[in-house]
Amino acid sequence: MSMLEVRDLNVYYGGIHALKGISLDVEEGQIVSIIGSNGAGKSSMMNTISGIVKRQSGEILFRGEKLPSQANKIVKQGICQVPEGRLIFANLTTYENLILGAYLRKDKAGIERDLKRVYEIFPRLEERKNQIAGTLSGGEQQMLAMGRGIMSAPELIMLDEPSLGLAPLLVNTIFETIKEIKAMGKTILLVEQNALKALSVADNAYVLEQGRITMSGPGKQLLKDPTIAEAYLGHAK
Amino acid sequence: MDLQYYLQQLVNGICLGGMYALMSVGYSLVYSIMSFSNFAHGGVIMVGAYVGFFALTALKVPFLVAFLLCGVGSGLLAVIIERLVYSPLRKRKAPSLYFIISAMGASIFLENFVIATIDGTPRNYPTLFSNSIKIGSLSLGLDSLLMIIVSAVSLLVLMIIIQKTKIGLAIRACSYNEKAGTLMGINSSLVIFVVFLMGGVLAGFAGMLYGMRFIVKPTIGQVTNKSFVAAVFGGLGSLPGAIVGSLLLGIMEIFVASINSSLRDLFVYALLIIVLIIKPSGLMGKPVEDKA
Repeated sequence: MSMLEVRDLNVYYGGIHALKGISLDVEEGQIVSIIGSNGAGKSSMMNTISGIVKRQSGEILFRGEKLPSQANKIVKQGICQVPEGRLIFANLTTYENLILGAYLRKDKAGIERDLKRVYEIFPRLEERKNQIAGTLSGGEQQMLAMGRGIMSAPELIMLDEPSLGLAPLLVNTIFETIKEIKAMGKTILLVEQNALKALSVADNAYVLEQGRITMSGPGKQLLKDPTIAEAYLGHAK
Repeated sequence: MDLQYYLQQLVNGICLGGMYALMSVGYSLVYSIMSFSNFAHGGVIMVGAYVGFFALTALKVPFLVAFLLCGVGSGLLAVIIERLVYSPLRKRKAPSLYFIISAMGASIFLENFVIATIDGTPRNYPTLFSNSIKIGSLSLGLDSLLMIIVSAVSLLVLMIIIQKTKIGLAIRACSYNEKAGTLMGINSSLVIFVVFLMGGVLAGFAGMLYGMRFIVKPTIGQVTNKSFVAAVFGGLGSLPGAIVGSLLLGIMEIFVASINSSLRDLFVYALLIIVLIIKPSGLMGKPVEDKA
């Protein structure tokens, strides 16, 4: 049994059929990447799993159980979304943002331990813990969003476009961090436009085109696929 | 002699401003989470004033009990309005205009409900505190002193809840971005409940203070619209803004009234229009582009 099973998911926005019968599996301990162009439905899929967007039909099972319908209850199941555009709380301090990540947790010792861990991974965040998050740079805000995700002690962490709008050097840092999060024993569902990076780190990957999954397989294998190379990696034929 | 007069007026202004602050934080709290001006708040304040009046005259309970009953009554009423009126709109994701119009409707409903069930005659609170204390040459009525203490303590407790507690942190998070708050596992319905409850309790306290100082009648909700002006002046959505705006407005209003009392309301509403034209975000509010 996979950790996360998505079966025949259909989502409509108004009249637009955004997700057309999507099915996918995420195995425990893996990094699963979803690549696709703008508007392919990558974020819709993630928002549907996290409960922000309502689905019309289909099933989402987490460890074999149906997920609750409210987004705040899904967090409690151990699924955490680091949303596109980061959505950090720009009016609060870095520290307060991180503590909000642990909003549902009661284990004080565990929270302290994870906070230390986040500061180890992102020393910048510790330096700026009392700074208002809105004044952080784009890269620091992305680190904060990921750190906040880690603070919820999720079993499955869903990263939506973590490299979007970041300088190349920072993109590398973010992908190193993704590997570190995997090493912490977390399962990762990654949505990315940077197909090369996303496929390189992925154990498994899916290609999403116009609301449908058109291809899937191990990341390394998709990386070598000529149609993918042409469409997403910018290689000439 | 002159200095004493001005000091006396300053104290009166602080009294009035403190009472406005108790009311205006309710407007600001709701606005910060739901981005609309909850005009039903005036009705909640008015009902608080009636609860206090009948608690003192019909039930003949001591002042402190009456005061707490006001908070409980108005707090419950605010929560009930949220559940009956705004919650269905929220579930439908209705535009904020719907909320504002429903709020006005709720306010008019409350006014007429009181006229229909009690009556429309103005009533005076029994005199509770007629003594005054002397500070130097300044005479400070016990009722004024009470107003200042009650306002200060209530607002301090509110600020501590908002700044230091977990639910306060959740309120501040949701005021910035409710969706992101939900992704942290925050139950936004609970946040909204707490916001209406706290705003309502303070509205009840304010209603009683208003009744003690002035009068109780079904239309005092409209008078309390001045506290809305104070919230806009301070920056709608900002709690410190609401408090500072209220104190400044109270003091300015008293001084304007001391020149010519018929200018009083004219000044307050002219200020509202000027703020909206020149600096719609008020003294301490977020830029309006953030929240339309």
